[in-house]
Amino acid sequence: MSTQHLTPAPPPPVAQARTAPPAALTVLSEYGIFIVTAATIVLAAVAVNGFASTANVVDIFHRAAPVGIVAVGMTFVVISANYIDLSVVSQVAIAGVTMLSLGADDLPLGILCGIALCVLVGLTNGLAVGVLRANAVVVTLATGGASLGVLSLVTSGTIYYGSSGGLVDRFGHTRLGPFPLVAVSLVVVAVAGWFLLSRTVFGFSLKSLGANRAAARLAGVRGGWTVTGAFVVSSLCCAAAGFVLASISSTAVATMSNGYDFSALAAVIVGGNSLFGGRGSVQRTMIGVIFVSVVANILVLVGLPFAWQQLVTGSIIVAAVALDSLSRKAGIR
Amino acid sequence: MTVDTTGHILDVRGVQKRFGGVVALHDVALALRPGERHAVVGENGAGKSTLMRIVAGILAPDSGEVLIDGQPVGRGATAALDAGIALVHQELSLVPELSVAENIDLGNCPTRYGFVRRREQREHARAALAEIGVDLDLSEPVGRLSVAARQFVEIARAVARRPRVLILDEPTATLTPSETSHLLGLLGRLSDQGIAILYISHRIPEIFELCESATVLRDGHLVARPDLADITGDELVDLMVGRELAKDLRTERRERAPGEVVLRARDVSAAKVRHVDLEVRAGQIVGLGGLVGSGRSEIVRAVVGADPRTSGTVELRTGDQEWTPLRSYARAVRLGVAYVPEERRAEGLALGMTVADNIALPSRGRLNRLGVMRHAAMASLAQDVIGRVGLQPPRPRHEAGQFSGGNQQKIVIGKWLAGSPRLVVLDEPTRGVDVGAKAEIHQLVRELADDGAAVLLVSSDLPELLDLSDTVHVVRDGRVVGTLGSQDATESAVMRLAAGKEEQIV
Repeated sequence: MSTQHLTPAPPPPVAQARTAPPAALTVLSEYGIFIVTAATIVLAAVAVNGFASTANVVDIFHRAAPVGIVAVGMTFVVISANYIDLSVVSQVAIAGVTMLSLGADDLPLGILCGIALCVLVGLTNGLAVGVLRANAVVVTLATGGASLGVLSLVTSGTIYYGSSGGLVDRFGHTRLGPFPLVAVSLVVVAVAGWFLLSRTVFGFSLKSLGANRAAARLAGVRGGWTVTGAFVVSSLCCAAAGFVLASISSTAVATMSNGYDFSALAAVIVGGNSLFGGRGSVQRTMIGVIFVSVVANILVLVGLPFAWQQLVTGSIIVAAVALDSLSRKAGIR
Repeated sequence: MTVDTTGHILDVRGVQKRFGGVVALHDVALALRPGERHAVVGENGAGKSTLMRIVAGILAPDSGEVLIDGQPVGRGATAALDAGIALVHQELSLVPELSVAENIDLGNCPTRYGFVRRREQREHARAALAEIGVDLDLSEPVGRLSVAARQFVEIARAVARRPRVLILDEPTATLTPSETSHLLGLLGRLSDQGIAILYISHRIPEIFELCESATVLRDGHLVARPDLADITGDELVDLMVGRELAKDLRTERRERAPGEVVLRARDVSAAKVRHVDLEVRAGQIVGLGGLVGSGRSEIVRAVVGADPRTSGTVELRTGDQEWTPLRSYARAVRLGVAYVPEERRAEGLALGMTVADNIALPSRGRLNRLGVMRHAAMASLAQDVIGRVGLQPPRPRHEAGQFSGGNQQKIVIGKWLAGSPRLVVLDEPTRGVDVGAKAEIHQLVRELADDGAAVLLVSSDLPELLDLSDTVHVVRDGRVVGTLGSQDATESAVMRLAAGKEEQIV
């Protein structure tokens, strides 16, 4: 698929590139989501009343921001191998609640403690999965469940409010021109994530681990620590998402981030990141975030109930996973 | 080619196959009589494996057909099996967790009401192993067997199905000479029973020993179908490569004056490794010979630290008077140790990553500034390495998995060239690699030594081992049982030590 033809023609067209998967499938799995997203947006702009308004577009980003930030972190975990992080629900809630409860008196302390608690969960996940090679689903389900349990016990359902006019509250309601700061924060996190994954040694090592763990290890990559790094990136994103989510409504409660594991994973998969690890990028996750948010927005505008939204999102994920598996199958002999 | 199908058991006609834009097979025909022993030869990427997979029903041809007794074989591997075509895979296809008996019956398991009939299964497996003259514990999980034993289980599985055409794709790549001659004898007996044998191998002497005729493929085209009685090995190689290359294979051996000791391993023990001492000097190639399963791979893995050691010390010279102990593998890599593992596809390469990324991986420590990868430096490194190893086609942005075996191996070796390694450890560097690529890889290994690297080489290919090594240590049961200098290292001397007929006091 190289587009460079500047080099002189190589010796006879060798019968060596023998693994190229069917072209249509490659195009579909590589670029399908861009086409589908664009088509959906165009269709919605024409057919759905109120979709194309500036207010609605801004609203889409506004709603997409916290879960999109979680998805950026999840991208690192997924790419490092076929791992996923199911403890994000708990981490986002812990961050949000800690920042508003402790932060009521001393905001920097609240933020710091929120980040520290998330990183603690991330480190536990990373060490168990990366160094001890425990199963990621089980580990993150367990750490997520346990930490959310502790949070519920401690808060016993209390809703915490940000002080009106305080930093949290202001962050949620400030606009940069037409753009809410919340939406801008998603872009900032995505750019940082892109840089970390695509431009740094850490990101390169992470991708190579996902592509072939044994080969990466034999090239000197320290697998356990690199995977731990991925889980810590995920927890930092959760801390950021917790802050952003709390700022939107200026409230925090233990149940604030229910469903974030599923939604973030949906964005990662729908964007075309391989669940088998090794392939993918933050850009893809962002396309996934946009697509999933646009679809959810359309369903709301059209007036379909929440159950339908779940059904549609679920179906989209099944289709994306099937395509991922199919393209992998076609690519491997 | 021949259209006369009288008396043919297998008839393959006009087979075409494309992968993406690349023609893998172009109008290839093949016909076999019952009991015929026929070789399929060609360089890597010539289309041999593709042709075999089409015959075995694993791949569907774009056009053309496969006939057994004049009847077209249905689509799919099961139809081919039912028609009597059995394939012994090049890359082993056994389930490591299942026992020998279960693997032999895999997919063909005797059942009653959906329950496995264990006793019948064991009898069946025992008979199949007896038929091929191999003695193995039926309840041993296959994952614990040596690679050679697994190869024989694979053959037993194929033979147990009473095939009419038996296809073997590089069956001897992992076998020692005595195991190879056992296998060739077995194949001779099977063909006497009327089974037609299709045999793929890079080893020319074997082909002449076993086969009567051959199909020569080059770049997906059928170029010749000689009777092997009529031609010599050199002529066959010339047909395969389409140029006179056989003479290049033996380059003049250059005398090197070994420098100072670079690697010092003392009393190293690990799983299957018992108290090994090793020294390798700068510019010296030290070979490890021995039977498959003797512990050579385990020794080098323990030495570089890829597998844990239970005792012993390994030190690398990192300066004039400076020795650094190798404690972790990642540290060894940073100190200039390059390790090319035996399992190229599983451990050597990330097949889904580009050539350029694979090449950059071990050098990522030098290819960054403050943790940020320098993409321009990565690209120029890839260009350098690709030129140096002669990768074909020279495309840094293609995925590694798209290249043939020989070219993949060039990437695996090439990625270590960038760092000017102090110690290069190569485990079976030319296994499953065609003659052309093999000569190029040998040249690379010599260049590495000429440039002052210490080279530790494991090879089951005796001519290669003797040709390249300055010193050969022979390994048996995880120990070094003898050391031969370049003058006294002969095939028979190595084999006598390896098989335990003679022991030298070290």
